[in-house]
Amino acid sequence: MSTRVLDPSRQHIVLRVAAALLGGYAFAWGFIALGTSALFAAGMPFHDAEFLSSMLGILAYLAVFLWVFAVPGLRRAGAVLVGAGAAMAGLASLLQHTLV
Amino acid sequence: MFANFRLAMAWLHTWFGLVLGFVLMVVFFFGALSVFDREIDRWGIPASRFEPQPMPSFDKVLKPVFESMQPTQESIDRMRPRVDGPMPERYDTVRRWGAYTTHRDPVLGVFAGYEVPNAKDPDEAIFASRTIDPRTGAALPDDRLKIGSRFFYPLHYSLNFHWLDLGYWIVGLAALVMLAALVSGVVMHRKIFREFFTFRPRKSTQRSALDLHNLTGVVALPFHFFFAFTGLVIFAGLYFPVTHTQLHPLHELHEQHEEQETGLPQDRAGVPAPLASVDAMVAEAQRRWASRGMAGEVGFLALQHVGDANGYVSIYRAGTDRIALTGEGIHFKASTGEVLHEDPPPTAVASVAEFLTGLHLQHFRHWLLRWLYVLGGLAGCVCIATGLVFFVEKRKRQHAKQGSSGARVADAMAVTTVTGMLVATLGMLIANRLLPENLPNRGDWEQYCFWGAWLLAMAHAFWRTAPVAEGRLAPAWREQCWAVAAMAVAAVLLNWLTTGDHLLRTLAAGYWPVAGVDLFMLVSAALAAYAARRLGRRVRGAADARAMVAEAARA
Amino acid sequence: MPDALMLLAAVAASVAGMGWLALAMDVHWEQVRGDAPRRPACVACLRALGALALAASLALCLAVDHPSMAALVWVMALAAGALAVAMTLAWRPHWLAVLVMRAPGRVGA
Repeated sequence: MSTRVLDPSRQHIVLRVAAALLGGYAFAWGFIALGTSALFAAGMPFHDAEFLSSMLGILAYLAVFLWVFAVPGLRRAGAVLVGAGAAMAGLASLLQHTLV
Repeated sequence: MFANFRLAMAWLHTWFGLVLGFVLMVVFFFGALSVFDREIDRWGIPASRFEPQPMPSFDKVLKPVFESMQPTQESIDRMRPRVDGPMPERYDTVRRWGAYTTHRDPVLGVFAGYEVPNAKDPDEAIFASRTIDPRTGAALPDDRLKIGSRFFYPLHYSLNFHWLDLGYWIVGLAALVMLAALVSGVVMHRKIFREFFTFRPRKSTQRSALDLHNLTGVVALPFHFFFAFTGLVIFAGLYFPVTHTQLHPLHELHEQHEEQETGLPQDRAGVPAPLASVDAMVAEAQRRWASRGMAGEVGFLALQHVGDANGYVSIYRAGTDRIALTGEGIHFKASTGEVLHEDPPPTAVASVAEFLTGLHLQHFRHWLLRWLYVLGGLAGCVCIATGLVFFVEKRKRQHAKQGSSGARVADAMAVTTVTGMLVATLGMLIANRLLPENLPNRGDWEQYCFWGAWLLAMAHAFWRTAPVAEGRLAPAWREQCWAVAAMAVAAVLLNWLTTGDHLLRTLAAGYWPVAGVDLFMLVSAALAAYAARRLGRRVRGAADARAMVAEAARA
Repeated sequence: MPDALMLLAAVAASVAGMGWLALAMDVHWEQVRGDAPRRPACVACLRALGALALAASLALCLAVDHPSMAALVWVMALAAGALAVAMTLAWRPHWLAVLVMRAPGRVGA
């Protein structure tokens, strides 16, 4: 059995798992970053903002992880997660810039 | 990829469950044992088999201990690559001295963190730790491994695999997959209410395994979900180090604000100062807690910037009677003993944080809840194990026909992870009793025995699951069950022979830490023997059935 | 020690409550009482009894501990109760007959 050329469906599985794990991680990171900076900017104590965002971020990771396996379009799913994650992280850094 | 949501969830549950199930078994089993980690420590270190003690006097007992501590050669060697220049003979600039105790600790663990001159990272710290008898201040030998709190407990959150912190990440992934498996399991389970109490042990292995898998998964669903979730929350800073990387400037800004608000200095002043009586500070802290209607013991005592004018002492109340680990922190100026800051009551978010971490780490006093936690943890193990068994049963006939060995490998891995894990655990406890008392690095040897026993069990598992490739039941299960039963009894006997603390004596004295461990092992031996006999009967039954079919065919 | 007794009672109430809820289901009723028929009121009654017992279990937990701890004890007691009932139904179903010996609206003699 040749292992160099992956079965299209096996390759698809690998990509979908990668999208769920890595895309999901990027999304969660952005979510936590934006949550922390936005809540802190709104006046919540820092460690509270950090904790609440982390807690909700983990639940968000779970949700998008499941979502990636439920939706038909793999490329769109991956792009949405990475894009949204990057956008949220970008906003977080912007907010940080205005505060520090 | 899938026709509908339910199919997608079924695929996810099956394949992620299979791959991460092995890790999750280890996490759940050693997590369950960790509920009684300090009791297992007592069993493994007979010198520590006395009653739990409160935090001792700092001035009389702890101060001399702290002053004599230094990092181990091992820690110094590990720090070398992180330092640019010569390393000192003695580490004298103390960042922090700390002592933490609970209502279950006879011995006290203390730690010290020192500044590292010439370190590449100016915030670098090197640590030393020691375990003492709080009644006298005498130190326990450093190489006595606390099998419960320093091996089984870290095993459950890091697999004791510290290279690049990979163990933490594997466990983290397993926890996320556990949450996904719980949600997908509920989606897949169409008759979740109708089959809530359903367990049909007399049906085929495949059906009984599935029944038991569903039962143990559903009845303890809140437990399984919350433990996986809170585990991830506890280590969220490790998995998502946002505030130490991308948002580090924001973190620094907050630290400056906090220093101004609380009056607790971030850095040393560089001016030496004496240390006032910490015992007097403890007495004041206890007086203040009592005046708020919260009289209590000291749970955590910490001194920051020791020997410096900016030094302060933090005293926290032990959370024995509540979910939060410690609380009501009061901070004193180290040189004068005046109160600098009292921690305000927690905010709503902080209360939620305390509740979630406290419910997982359980430092509270509640023996029923602890045993119910063990039950939940073992239910989780049964859920995962029956999931693996179901996977193998469903596919082994198919694989046998196809000549594939997938089912056999899965079964061998299942044996390794279920009974093999028990063999490793008991092997370590037996080694603990058999190794010479004064063997240098005794703790390391005990760990080698653990991993060695597990490897042997794995070899046995792979050798003795050959019948699975022909669609039959593997003798490996039955044989390892007998091994577990024998080893558990051996461990209890060895405890008696090597320490004299046999069950009648420990029960009569009411010394539950040791009696409990012995009893738990005896009950496990009985269960393992029962399981082995039933598996033997099933194999004979299947062999008889095949013989009858062969006879009928010949007739 | 009243605390220990109350907690024991809480666990017992959970087992009884889960037992009654199980018996409200036809498949388990048959396991325990064989082919004895029953009225729909009996089913409703069993469910009510079950719910009441579980509520009593919660009340007992709250009487012993701080609410944050009591909630955890109760949820775990429910799990233990459900497991106990499921195992009893699997190995010794007739043991649960004790829960329906004096149930009001009992059918037959």
